[in-house]
Amino acid sequence: MSQPATTPDALDAPRTPDAPDPLQALDALGPKGPYRSRHRLTISDVTGTPMAELSLVPRLFVTRALAALRAAATPPLEERLAALKRAGELFATGTVAGMTAAAYESAVCRMSGTPLANVRIAVEAIRLSATEAYRSVQAARPVGAVGDWRDPYARGGTAVWIRRGDVFAVHAAGNHPAVHALWLEALALGYRVAVRPSRREPLTPYRLVSALREAGFGTDQVVLLPTDHDAAGEILHGADLSMVYGGQEVIDRYAADPAVLPNGPGRSKILLTADREWRDHLDVVVDSIARHGGTACVNATAVLVEGDPAPVAEALAERLAALPSLPPQDETAVLPVHPVETARGFERLLLGKAAGARAWLGGDGVVDDLGDGSAALRPAVLQLDDPRDPRLGMELSFPCVWVAPWTRAAGVAALRDSLVVTAITGDEALLDALLAEPSIKNLYIGDHPTHWIAPGIPHDAYLGEFLMRTKAVIRG
Amino acid sequence: MPTASLSVLDVPFDERPDPDEYIRAAMEWHFGPDTGSPFWLRKARTLDFDPRRDVKGVADLALFPHVTGELREVPVRDLIPQGYGADARIVGVFESGGTTGAPKRIVCLRDWLDRLTHGLSADLDGLGIPRGVDWLAIAPSGPHMVGEMVAGTAARHGGLMFRVDMDPRWVKKLISAGKAEETDAYVSHLVEQAAHVLRTQEIGVLMTTPPLLERLARHDDLIELIGEKVKGIMWGGAHMDADTRDLLRTEVFPGCALYGTYGNTMILGGATERLGLGPDEPCVFDPRTPFVTFSVVDPASGEPVPYGERGQVVMNHVSKSALLPNNLERDLAIRVPPPEGAAGDSVADVGPVAMFDDEVVIEGVY
Repeated sequence: MSQPATTPDALDAPRTPDAPDPLQALDALGPKGPYRSRHRLTISDVTGTPMAELSLVPRLFVTRALAALRAAATPPLEERLAALKRAGELFATGTVAGMTAAAYESAVCRMSGTPLANVRIAVEAIRLSATEAYRSVQAARPVGAVGDWRDPYARGGTAVWIRRGDVFAVHAAGNHPAVHALWLEALALGYRVAVRPSRREPLTPYRLVSALREAGFGTDQVVLLPTDHDAAGEILHGADLSMVYGGQEVIDRYAADPAVLPNGPGRSKILLTADREWRDHLDVVVDSIARHGGTACVNATAVLVEGDPAPVAEALAERLAALPSLPPQDETAVLPVHPVETARGFERLLLGKAAGARAWLGGDGVVDDLGDGSAALRPAVLQLDDPRDPRLGMELSFPCVWVAPWTRAAGVAALRDSLVVTAITGDEALLDALLAEPSIKNLYIGDHPTHWIAPGIPHDAYLGEFLMRTKAVIRG
Repeated sequence: MPTASLSVLDVPFDERPDPDEYIRAAMEWHFGPDTGSPFWLRKARTLDFDPRRDVKGVADLALFPHVTGELREVPVRDLIPQGYGADARIVGVFESGGTTGAPKRIVCLRDWLDRLTHGLSADLDGLGIPRGVDWLAIAPSGPHMVGEMVAGTAARHGGLMFRVDMDPRWVKKLISAGKAEETDAYVSHLVEQAAHVLRTQEIGVLMTTPPLLERLARHDDLIELIGEKVKGIMWGGAHMDADTRDLLRTEVFPGCALYGTYGNTMILGGATERLGLGPDEPCVFDPRTPFVTFSVVDPASGEPVPYGERGQVVMNHVSKSALLPNNLERDLAIRVPPPEGAAGDSVADVGPVAMFDDEVVIEGVY
């Protein structure tokens, strides 16, 4: 039998009453309300200062919570949409679980090292997703399907769009708070949702689930289940459908499981062909690399240049070198910040992989010690000789870009396995081929950054395509 | 001849002998040329101390080297004390689960099993578990001693015992090979068999492991059946964290007395949960001293850790039937003062060596 993890902190002596600044308690949000476990994880900010205590629930709690979600009924559509809208506004601007929006933004910056501006982008994305939930999910509905058997179309026979299950689980990532915008669509579609937060940044889902509850969702409609790895699998087991985030190994593990939707590295790319003047598009390329601190799957990892890539790499290096190193809560911060040791780990990995590449930026390292225990990760620009070099697909969570020459012979193959390709080209045959390539998930043509997204636009296909199916219905 | 003092090895079940007097008598028995086992008499020649002279009490058991590794190969007949003569009553040969390599073998004699099951049955009386109800054990049998221990306890408590056999070695093999689906299928098979017994028989006591209890708790119909029928749940064989224990007690099986044992083949049995503690107090296990004693030590220095601190568990089994002193276990636990009159340490919050995985996932952005 596998054994439950031990609970070394469960028996810590209780804090003395006069202890200063008790840590914020991030309770699990279970079907009976907040749950404070004995097994808790201290969450520190990027300087190493403890900030919060996250309650980690045991496997049995997960089993029970998912059973409660399964037993619950889904509220009517109108109620769900109204509650979602309220929750989105509350999340973005209100005081939730005793925390103001400004305090949340500052806290999540310090906890995750995400620059403040990016947190604000994420907050807006979450607010929009909640507010626009109906429009967003309806975009995924097949044109032949209606939402209800009472629809007049059903008299002559039609398709009705129905859920593939009732309980949806999310193993969330901590790289960017905006990952929590997506699963709101599942709530809009009538799923009961269980979220397992990332242990690096549990504050965003804690606030979001709290806001959803304050806005009217029942405790048996949406739960927050922080767990250690031992209990994580139980969440997937207890749900009908799940979405997981992770590296390539996660993608591989769940590739064959029809009940799991894996979200992995984006490996987004930009293609600059010779018929376009690349200097005119430099802003979009820089923005694609650096927006979101380079931490998102939609950030450009590779730039392929028809012709000599060196001038492009040089220009990118010059522009990216100007980005300031600042603490994440600074209004003008743009680079991700980590505890120094974590940052050094990223740096070692980069330098190990960069051997033989021409380093335009970051060749001596990317760690900028901020002197308070944390470090900013500075951008890196590395030039490769071959568009087939596998390092073009190596994604790191800071602005790190691999630049390589592209040729007609390398073709579409060099752009495979990309969440987004921004193609700056006038070659329509090439665009046809890029659109037809199944492993390129999104194609942006011309001056659009790889991180462009809007409600109603699929991110990696519509989530609705995974959550829903059609059923034939005819009635007299 | 020290025959008079040896009688302390056969004290009535309800009596606890003076620990140090008991240990001295046991040394006389296990190292007496006519009474000791061939294994220990051979071993004695390699020791740099004389157990009969130098081991004066429980604390001196730490003088012994770790010998349990030799139990993987020693002929088991050599483990039987000669003092029993030709009519030693053997319950069986039992083996460890094989977690840390090839299984280790011990021989269990009737007088020890009787003492053990008497103690367990008395504990169940204290817990209010009625006598004469029937039992279901979803537990290892075969070479594993726990099956025999539970069967013996059920019988002594007046119950018939239904068994669902569990092969822990096979499960460990599946888990270590990453065969999650096969593991799952095997555990489902166990649950299915248990469900059949629960549906068709009047089961008053359930004995199983914490992971199996969690698996049973996935099924609302089984939760209901257990709630209707079962008065007591005895768990052991794996660790249970405090949050899970609380959930089982208050939410899942609120009508059942939950009773933990911390068992091990190398102590020929288990330590049992201290009763009467509050829900926020840790689960404390008290070994039945002086037959079984624990100490909790710093793994680096071998010195005892202070009370309330976590350390590695050292176990001793000293009975007339067997001597297994100073065995360093893989488990970690918090050192707790023993109950009044008991020797050695009690342990709380037992768990395997804590694994702290690094959350930094380098490849990919998550």
